[in-house]
Amino acid sequence: MSNENMTEPVVNENTSGLDDFEPAAAENTAPAAASALDFDDDPLSATGVSRKSLVIFFLIDTSGSMKGKKMGELNTVMEELIPEIRRVGEADTEVKVAVLTFSTEVRWMYSTPIAIEDFEWARLRASGVTSMGAAFKELSLRMSRNSYLNSPSLSFAPVIFLMTDGYPSDDYREGLKELQSNSWYKFGLKAALGIGDEANDDVLAEFTGSKDTVVHAYSGTQLAQMIKIIAVTSAQIGSKSMTLSDDSGHELGEEDVFSAKQKLLGQQIQELVSNKVEDNDVPFDTGW
Amino acid sequence: MVELEIGQEVEMEYGGSAKVLSVIGSGGQGTVYLVRFNGMKWALKWYDIDKMKKPKEFRKNLQNNINDGPPSNKFLWPKYLTKETEDGTFGYIMDLKPEGFDSFVDILNTYKLEIDPLTGHAVKRPVKFNSLNAMVTAVINIVNAFRQLHRAGKSYQDLNDGGFFINVNTGAVLVCDCDNIAPDGSNFGIGGKPGYMAPEVVRGIAQPNVQTDKYSLAVVLFKLLFRGDPMEGEKVVKDVCLTESSELKHYGQNAVFVYDPNDASNRPVRGIHDNVIKFWRIYPDYIKDAFIRSFTTGISEPTKRIIENEWQKLFIRLRSEIIMCGCGRTNFSSMFVQPNPKTFKCPKCGMEFASLGFSDRDYRMPLYLGCRFYECEISPDSDDFTKVAGELVENKLKPGVLGIKNCSERQWKAKMPDGAFYDIAPGKGFPIWQGLEIDFGVIKAQI
Repeated sequence: MSNENMTEPVVNENTSGLDDFEPAAAENTAPAAASALDFDDDPLSATGVSRKSLVIFFLIDTSGSMKGKKMGELNTVMEELIPEIRRVGEADTEVKVAVLTFSTEVRWMYSTPIAIEDFEWARLRASGVTSMGAAFKELSLRMSRNSYLNSPSLSFAPVIFLMTDGYPSDDYREGLKELQSNSWYKFGLKAALGIGDEANDDVLAEFTGSKDTVVHAYSGTQLAQMIKIIAVTSAQIGSKSMTLSDDSGHELGEEDVFSAKQKLLGQQIQELVSNKVEDNDVPFDTGW
Repeated sequence: MVELEIGQEVEMEYGGSAKVLSVIGSGGQGTVYLVRFNGMKWALKWYDIDKMKKPKEFRKNLQNNINDGPPSNKFLWPKYLTKETEDGTFGYIMDLKPEGFDSFVDILNTYKLEIDPLTGHAVKRPVKFNSLNAMVTAVINIVNAFRQLHRAGKSYQDLNDGGFFINVNTGAVLVCDCDNIAPDGSNFGIGGKPGYMAPEVVRGIAQPNVQTDKYSLAVVLFKLLFRGDPMEGEKVVKDVCLTESSELKHYGQNAVFVYDPNDASNRPVRGIHDNVIKFWRIYPDYIKDAFIRSFTTGISEPTKRIIENEWQKLFIRLRSEIIMCGCGRTNFSSMFVQPNPKTFKCPKCGMEFASLGFSDRDYRMPLYLGCRFYECEISPDSDDFTKVAGELVENKLKPGVLGIKNCSERQWKAKMPDGAFYDIAPGKGFPIWQGLEIDFGVIKAQI
């Protein structure tokens, strides 16, 4: 694996990918008795309420087979997508984006996650083979408190969105195994998009953990639709606290809420996708 | 979900149609569009029917709310329903948010993003109350709006930071997203927003009602005054990643107030919760005590939560204790030095302020040029906290002489240095002096 374009993040001691959500240095402060003028006592001067942060990881296949129309469509839709996600995140969550591309090499678009307000899409080019396993390993390395997920305040579990048009050319299972031991991955929202006939939905379901969050696009139009559906829906769900099922009638336990967001994401993606597919399947002589 | 197209006509229930002009925004339940109907612009909320649990009941409830009308003009209330489409989808129209109001979220963030339509770049514009008086007035308005709603026998259900617009210059408040409001005891599927939901709702053992509204209201008030989350401290930050189960724990099963006097496990963390640490030192004890009660005993005992009328009294008091010193320092009287029980002294410039004591309360109102008291403060039957009853002004003909002007509609009596009481008609005034006594009728005041 070579990352020639990647700047090393300043702090990167945790290389195992095993990040048990170790706490940030929390300094408990007892307000000391002080006279009124010892501190900024202006009742109107406040900083913004500390926001929770959400990092959206895009894992994008840039192998040679993506060349041409697929890459053109993908670049265009991603450019258009950024303002839409911006609208989702501006409320009380700080949304950041990180893009990892994989072909023969694995490479980050920027060396650190970028706040959605400032994010600019750098157009991608396609060439080489599909090193998906290497991408999983690299992701696992960076999904750490000491690396890309270093927000001092609380974080939501990340959104991880994988897009590929082919079968992995390396041992993806080994990489996935490493990723699966990463706590951020375990609690993260995972979705995947298979592009064209070669992409294997079973491999993608292994990555997301369920078939519900895997969709497939066979045309340029579908590609654009699916990317938007998945990215916007997962950003919406990921950037908010869970909403509850309120008709259970019994006290909720940990098992009731476990991966509630991932399940919700699956449901919503399936609903939205089936609506779109219906649109495309309407016979020409109906609906007039 | 059936999205509306720009230019599409949506048929209204009682005839006519609304033409979709643009998208305003989208939320968990649907999308809000700008529409034209009867020659006027309105906001149309169009539901995502797939996400609704009981669409028929929901529509019926909305219809009832429209028929009942808003509890006061502080609500952006649903106006007209649309017809249902074939699959049962529907929406309603309401007034547009007036100019000059900012969302509560933007106030909490202290800025709002404005997107340049040409470049798509986002520019941050500061959003901040322009006076302490406007901020406390906003708080009183929020409390009062919920008092009115609850008196109408309804609950808001999903009270959260997305539910208000506030004018940062005047403190005027508009309650929006009124479509989940339902008679107390009913619920049509909304759960609420974590962080704002009462712990019993988070835990799944209660549905939103008036009591859970009271908890959410306390959270909203805390966020506005202390600019932080009342339950997010060291204990929560240690978890680093807010998973579904950690939210259930920190906002439901094991919610601990950051300043719980009997449990120091969740104190605010410097560097993350600096606002809360700062403001906890500024607000007077009676405000802090109300929040302590809300977030300690109020967690497990919904009936012990602070009622709106009590909040309203506390914040009317807080407003009357603001001092705007000539040196530019504005703060609550508790942040001023008290050389004696009747005098407040600015710790910055040394200026001293006399105060007025009222016969029906045990705290004193500091007097400074421009300070005001309100109708509800001089007549026991009045609930009017917006109508100015009196103001400290400078005599226009005798510069340097300060006095109180009667801005009310009733006659007062004031004691003059000769020891006699004189009638003070509306619009008239009298100088302030060491032995001043005022008779407002039932309530009396003296320096």
